[in-house]
Amino acid sequence: MDWSQGQPLRVGDMFLGLYQPSPETTGFWEGVKRHELLLKVCNSCGKLHHPRRILCSGCGESGLGWTRSSGKGKVYAFSEIHRSAGVFSKSTPYVVGIAELEEGVHLFSRFMARNNADVQIDRPVDVDFQVLEQGFLLPVFKLREE
Amino acid sequence: MKQLGSSCAVIGMGRSICKRGEPEKKTPLQLMVEAAGLAMKEAGINRTQVGALFTGRMPRTYCSLQYNQTVLNELKIVPTFCTEVTAHGAGALGTIELAILALNSGMIDYALCVCGEASPLWIEMVEGSANWEADLQFEGPYGATTPSLYAMCAQRYMHEYGITPAQLARVAVENRKWALDHPHAAMRRRGPITVDDVLSSKMIASPMRMLDCATWFPGGIGSAAIVTRAELAKGREKAPFYVAGFGQCSTHEWIGERMGFWGVDPVKDGPNLVRTGASVAAKQAYTMSGLSPKDVDLVQTSAPFTFANVLMLEELGFCGVGEGGAFVESGGVDYDGGLPFNTTGGYLSFGQSGQGLYLLKEVADQIAGQPEGRPVPDAKIGMVHGHGGPNACHSVMLVSGEQLQ
Ligand SMILES: [Zn+2]
Repeated sequence: MDWSQGQPLRVGDMFLGLYQPSPETTGFWEGVKRHELLLKVCNSCGKLHHPRRILCSGCGESGLGWTRSSGKGKVYAFSEIHRSAGVFSKSTPYVVGIAELEEGVHLFSRFMARNNADVQIDRPVDVDFQVLEQGFLLPVFKLREE
Repeated sequence: MKQLGSSCAVIGMGRSICKRGEPEKKTPLQLMVEAAGLAMKEAGINRTQVGALFTGRMPRTYCSLQYNQTVLNELKIVPTFCTEVTAHGAGALGTIELAILALNSGMIDYALCVCGEASPLWIEMVEGSANWEADLQFEGPYGATTPSLYAMCAQRYMHEYGITPAQLARVAVENRKWALDHPHAAMRRRGPITVDDVLSSKMIASPMRMLDCATWFPGGIGSAAIVTRAELAKGREKAPFYVAGFGQCSTHEWIGERMGFWGVDPVKDGPNLVRTGASVAAKQAYTMSGLSPKDVDLVQTSAPFTFANVLMLEELGFCGVGEGGAFVESGGVDYDGGLPFNTTGGYLSFGQSGQGLYLLKEVADQIAGQPEGRPVPDAKIGMVHGHGGPNACHSVMLVSGEQLQ
């Protein structure tokens, strides 16, 4: 997958070229294409991890595979962004933060709600897959509306 | 560890500043080598005596790999131990910490520590720093901004301890008063501010508003120090100051991934966004020095948001966990009568310059009774806190005009 989408790579820019999926994360982004949220799982001790993990912080093994998350979780932390840069400027205000999945793994993401003010700590959320401002398909979290 | 306390002293410091709008724009390298020259001159040593060179991380606007070699090349020094010390901004104090370890080994007699940044002279800082501290694969694509990474921690901090925006704002108000007295502070001509001014300033990333956020220092600063063992510091023209104790602790690179790591202080009891390595670093510095928070006469932090300043007051031991809001509200860091806290105006009103030893210089100047801004009467012990974001790396240093122990 070419995150830079053919655009020339420039150090220090918003482009993702330098940070495009590397061998330890390509599985995650292939899952995203299928609308599946994948987490790293330790083949030795079963501990679940953030998708960028290479070593298991539980047992120290490096044999990590992929497992599918239910995509259900809650808002752990959030911030509504009123000033941003580049392509994101036109979307303000939007809410980012950390989702705590029911499997215990935390992911930084975008929170989607009819009303941004409803995004509060501990509110339940579900994964969704949307193309955001830079044109990349990403897992985001939708507020479970009552 | 205790034997390191007061084992070394700083015998010379130098600082070079270039402000936006001056006729000649300077590079970080120019500022750093100027500062190094001033430090050597004040210490009364020449370039052939420099046994070790430690630099902070490569400045953003003078990218050369092995930046320490670039500095060495310009200074025409031949150190036997030379490296870059990078714990983000906390690496600035890290240069002095490494110098102390090298000096105690007896391998060298004089270490030169140099740091500098001049980004605001050369690049557009707001746009160019938007996702500077984000993981560009798992955070950047969501439109993470640097303030938002801190702001979500502030949200947790307020949630977990019931701390209010008005309590946080108080730090900005008090820091501004110090800035009005300081000739180099970014906000020295902007006048005082009130809690209401902070609470009605433009929202940047909730709950952090414009006046909750650090301002950029409008220019560049190079700063340098010459460190030597205590016995070599005596009998010099310029009175030295002693490094009574120091500590350092780093927890993560990206704030999101920090949540997947625990089992060791400060995340022993599970993942959190409200405790930092500063508490671990401070504990080490206090133990090494034999000092306690009540001995400290003034404190400089490099915390870039109001909430981070309040949190640091807890982490550095000046109030209990979760009590930072009440501490500042009850006048804990008041310009009149409180703990002298960020006596240059701090990151919020002096401005941040990426990394440097200029806060250490402020403490040294206060202890020597020759500060550039408002003096802290009878200052004997000062604390400097260096931070690398987002809340990832922390250095703490306690300094004293007298050799302790
Ligand atoms: Zn394992």
